[in-house]
Amino acid sequence: MSTSVPFVVSESGRHYPIGPAPPEHSDLVRVYVWEWPVRLAHWGVVLSIAVLAVTGIYIGYPSITVTGPAGDHFLTGTVKVVHSYAAILFTLSVLSRLIWMFQGNHFARWDKFIPIKRRRRRGLVQALRFYLFQLRKPPGFIGHNPLAGATYTLVFGLYLVQILTGFTLYGAGANVDSHMRVFRHLIPLLGGLQTARLIHHGVMWLLIGFAIHHVYSAVLMSQIEGNATIESIFSGYKFVQKDDVIYSGYRYFDPKDIHDQHP
Amino acid sequence: MRKPGSWFETELEQRGVSRREFVEFCGVMATALALPKVFGARIAEAVLKAEKPVIVWLEFQDCAGNTESFLRATKPTVADIVLDVLSVDYHETIMAAAGHQAEDVLAKTVKEKKGAYLAVVEGSIPTGANGAYCTIGGRSALQIAREVCGGAAATIAVGTCATFGGLPAASPNPTGALGVADAVPGLKNLVNLSACPMNPENLTALVVHYLTFKDLPALDGYRRPLFAYGKSIHDNCERRAHFDAGQYVEAWGDDGHRTGYCLYKMGCKGPVTFQNCPVVRWNDGTSWPIGCGHPCIGCAEPDFWDKMTPFYRHLPTIPGFRLGTPVDKVGLWASAGVAAAFATHGLISLVQRARTGSVKDEHIPPPPPEDEPEKPGSPEKGASS
Repeated sequence: MSTSVPFVVSESGRHYPIGPAPPEHSDLVRVYVWEWPVRLAHWGVVLSIAVLAVTGIYIGYPSITVTGPAGDHFLTGTVKVVHSYAAILFTLSVLSRLIWMFQGNHFARWDKFIPIKRRRRRGLVQALRFYLFQLRKPPGFIGHNPLAGATYTLVFGLYLVQILTGFTLYGAGANVDSHMRVFRHLIPLLGGLQTARLIHHGVMWLLIGFAIHHVYSAVLMSQIEGNATIESIFSGYKFVQKDDVIYSGYRYFDPKDIHDQHP
Repeated sequence: MRKPGSWFETELEQRGVSRREFVEFCGVMATALALPKVFGARIAEAVLKAEKPVIVWLEFQDCAGNTESFLRATKPTVADIVLDVLSVDYHETIMAAAGHQAEDVLAKTVKEKKGAYLAVVEGSIPTGANGAYCTIGGRSALQIAREVCGGAAATIAVGTCATFGGLPAASPNPTGALGVADAVPGLKNLVNLSACPMNPENLTALVVHYLTFKDLPALDGYRRPLFAYGKSIHDNCERRAHFDAGQYVEAWGDDGHRTGYCLYKMGCKGPVTFQNCPVVRWNDGTSWPIGCGHPCIGCAEPDFWDKMTPFYRHLPTIPGFRLGTPVDKVGLWASAGVAAAFATHGLISLVQRARTGSVKDEHIPPPPPEDEPEKPGSPEKGASS
């Protein structure tokens, strides 16, 4: 890459390239937002949750049944095995994303999830006002907007609950020489295995509800901001208005502004 | 190997139990304790040599179901001798003595055999109203348990009431009932034999283990012997092949039920219940609940009356919802609600944009004055271009 590549400088002094300079006539800047570990973890979570939900619902309600001698089939057994392997993929994806919060670029870091800075707390309110139709545009944060980041914190909490209840249910019946048996110690903490099951089912529905919201919001933001939000989770790049790079997080419209602009 | 004079040999002879039957019993015990076959001989030697252990059997808030289980036998077996010929110095249901005479025996045992007797506790211990809900000879169950269990070589809590509180401790637990472990905390040699009632085979195996090794077996997190509570009912179940295959009882009395399919969909708690019922069975190995077509109700687990209910459903009720409301039905409707809410949001957003025009290319107003200056070079705004 040439020396003319724009970059952002992190607080630790590291330089993060933000893509080649845009053409003169364009207002848009190409910014490398989602590095490959972020994208990989994202799609790992998507794939595993889809498999886990489908197999999990079957394990809860084995609606498809077979006939003939039991020894000729291994349907529920296979579904349970697939569920377990998907759980491994899910856990590794979540863990790698958590680690990347401390290793990754500016947009991946942990403080994008917990709004400790006043600016992000204010942006959180602005994003909420956008969803409630009080603002025309969301605040111009390039990565996660503060509301999305805070939501993901809750979602990661649900992930951990799901992993722990799942591991406990698995560990309770695991073989005596299995390392998974350490999770038996969580049984009293979770209020027994039946309660663990109930939590495991309930959190699945919360995550399904989140998935609906997530897809909708991604489409909406992509339309409103026109910055290739959807495409960015495949390519890693967003196309951001120049002002958003310079004054990131400050763009918003008040209804009175709209009135001024559209007489 | 014959050593006349052993109390056990005398008992065997008096009851007409042959040497062959005795050796067979020792082999069965070795299997129940998950020991290698060679331990059969060691068990036989130890049991023959053992001093007659003294047992006091305390009954508190109980139905005497564990006593029933303990005395239940269709034919005299070696197990009966191990169990009911142990010197049971005190047992309210079966002792001949009564009143002060009986209480004196207990006091004498606790005093004279201190640290040498086994205390068996049946029933939960009420702690409400200073223990007034259960008193024997003017003393509360809690006082008796503290004194008797505190001086015992080992305490065996039999049945779910004595281990986890059981039915008396079920919500709302009017008497403040607790299991022995919670009512008398700090008991060192406490073994829990949960289930409603406990399986006498496991009590026999525990006593035999104690006689053979002078020690307690390996225990799980709830202080239950791993030899009996190490595996789930589900993992040892004779119907497990039907579960793995995908063959379930769908309704009582249907073809699957009569064929012996898996009872999972009828609310069987086998996957979350740990006991050796499928292996040891009940009533001299005659049968067991799942064997006769009824799902496991999880009686060996803590708070089973509150947490394993509804017995004929897979999952417990969500707190605050009507009894039996399935969490997945609620979840499905909630998800549909979420989808509807966002669809509405999308419609409003579309209508708004249709009326006021696209916002994509709108002019961006200058940022508001900064009231919180960022450090120079801060990444969120300090991009060079």
